Amino acid sequence: MSSKTAKPIVRSAAWRISLWATLAFAGGAMLVFVVLHRFVADDIQRRSDAWLSGEVEVLGDVAERTPKDAVYGRVVGEVAELAAKEVPNKQLTESSANDSVFFLQTGSGGSPELWVGTGNGGANLKAIEATRIVPGRPTDLKVEGFDIPFRVASLRIEDGSLIYLGLSERDELRVLRNLRLRFILLWLLLVLLGFGIVFFTTRRMLSHVRQITEAASRIGHSDLNARVPTTNRSDEVGHLALTLNHMLDRIESSMHQLHTITDSLAHDLRSPLTAIRGKLEMSLSAAAQLEQAEPIVSAIEELDRLNDFLTKSLDVAEAKADALRLIRSEIDLDELLRSMIDLYEPSMSEQGMQIGLRSAGPLTISADAALIHRMIANLFDNELKHLPAASTVTITLRTEDGSAALTLEDDGPGFDPEVSPHLFERRVKGKRSQGHGLGLAFIDAVARAHGGTATAYNRAAGGAHIALTLPLASQQHTKLAVPNTIATVSDR
Amino acid sequence: MRLLLVEDEPDIRSFLKCSLEEAGYQVDTAADGKTAEKLAAESVYDILIVDLGLPDQDGITLILKLRQFGVSAPVLILSARRSVDDRVRGLEQGGDDYLTKPFALAELLARLRNLLKRNSPSGNESTRLRVLDLELDLLRREASRSGQFLQLTAQEFVLLEYLCRNAGRVVTRSMILDKVWGMRIQPDTNVVDVHIYRLRGKVDGKGQQPLIRTLRGVGYVLKDR
Repeated sequence: MSSKTAKPIVRSAAWRISLWATLAFAGGAMLVFVVLHRFVADDIQRRSDAWLSGEVEVLGDVAERTPKDAVYGRVVGEVAELAAKEVPNKQLTESSANDSVFFLQTGSGGSPELWVGTGNGGANLKAIEATRIVPGRPTDLKVEGFDIPFRVASLRIEDGSLIYLGLSERDELRVLRNLRLRFILLWLLLVLLGFGIVFFTTRRMLSHVRQITEAASRIGHSDLNARVPTTNRSDEVGHLALTLNHMLDRIESSMHQLHTITDSLAHDLRSPLTAIRGKLEMSLSAAAQLEQAEPIVSAIEELDRLNDFLTKSLDVAEAKADALRLIRSEIDLDELLRSMIDLYEPSMSEQGMQIGLRSAGPLTISADAALIHRMIANLFDNELKHLPAASTVTITLRTEDGSAALTLEDDGPGFDPEVSPHLFERRVKGKRSQGHGLGLAFIDAVARAHGGTATAYNRAAGGAHIALTLPLASQQHTKLAVPNTIATVSDR
Repeated sequence: MRLLLVEDEPDIRSFLKCSLEEAGYQVDTAADGKTAEKLAAESVYDILIVDLGLPDQDGITLILKLRQFGVSAPVLILSARRSVDDRVRGLEQGGDDYLTKPFALAELLARLRNLLKRNSPSGNESTRLRVLDLELDLLRREASRSGQFLQLTAQEFVLLEYLCRNAGRVVTRSMILDKVWGMRIQPDTNVVDVHIYRLRGKVDGKGQQPLIRTLRGVGYVLKDR
């Protein structure tokens, strides 16, 4: 089944299953991470806030106790510098420049009194003035010239001045960014790995299902011996295969029973028929006079008709039960129709009838040669028997939707309207018909046994229309045209 | 001609034996495979008739077994089965023939003669066939009667060739359909008769001795005397 494996992988069930499974897993994992990230971010902030509050209190303490003399600025500044070196989560940088922490003391009027940090602190002061900072509660502060906001804690000391301690959120954000980066990498890895694992397991599982499907579809009408492949595992797929095989066992056994019945029926009837026919023939050769011979000859003819009826009835019965045994070979329908027309044309032209074939050339089907021959002979016999003189029969053979389509049209009286709806049923025949009413039922049976169809109706312009479709032999298109030896053997 | 008939149905066995003896065969009969094996081991037969449905073994198994023992005589297989299986087809390709029951006695006899002739070492496959004053050139696909060229279609030539090859022997309609058209069918119309009628119109001209004779209810024969 090369056509099935060639199907793009993206359209396979395994692909869809793994895609959805992976999406669900990826989504879930992402959600968990978002919650976790939030928790970690809050925790880091809580820690740095605690540090800020602690340090600002220490600084406030120092600022209160240190006398406001010339050294005040230096003492407080050094304590602030010291504090900056104990920043939590601090990244070790080469530059000793302290840009992650600032310290600002403003007088009760709001004018800066002491500044420790990068730059002159003007932008920081402006930002602080723009933001309402409640003492004792750390707040985010966006300072012009810095990409990353500061976290600022403030404290009012006894002399009425305010001190601010700002900590850049850079380190905090860096920790979170690292966390996110690592998560994304791991997450991608896991998602890909998960997708791979899910895809390959489902594909293995489904390939087994596909094998079962392919095997089951190969088990046709006539080939019931084959079984779908089974595994030793006792999972659902294993059960499916076992159940299918059990079902096939049962079908095969009832089919076998049907064959036994029809075979023994055929055998039990044919053996006495053979004996009767033989005895009749012997008495025919012994009969000296024509008057004696006449009834014997007609008895033999009746016997032959009975035999033909028996064969067709059993074929139709088996075909209705989808149990017709086919011995397939490759048949060129075009060639077969030509030799069939060759055979029937003289009889038809004898009656003033015309027969024509419209065909695009060789068309190979894989079918049971004996059945197909009999089916087409049946069609032609029908035309020959039922058409009035000067009728025209047109046969068309062409390829249609991967099948060989054979249509037969005539300009005769068509089917009896009374029986038209039941044309393909057994024992249905028009009032004028001489046959035993198996002709079309047999044609239908043979077509269906080969996986084809048969339709028949009266044309609007008058006359009958019978259409048959028969599946083409596999790889009809790619295979080189090898001449068949089945259809016409003219001089063997 | 010694013939071994392997058939389990007593009725068929007795009438076949009777008619075959009448036709000039020396007939031994066996009702099952075991007896047939024994008989075939004891004496040499020119031809065998084997029914497929034997009580103790499958007819084909028997034939293959006999072939292994060195029995090379041609076999006419009788079958009451509904489908001809591949193994029968194989045997047919190996030079044997088969006939489905019920059959016309004439057909059986005709097929037997055909098998015997096929098996006889007359091997001189000439390119010309001659029956009385009828002459066929197999290479040029041309026929003439009393030196008079006959205007035949390709299919008519094949039909006449088949009749000539079996000159003096009865050929049945189903044999003609089988060998000339390659179809095992039983049309319930007169298709073969019309072909023969047309051929006769060309072969048996005015004032000439009619060569193609119809045997009512049986078939046709091309006279060779």
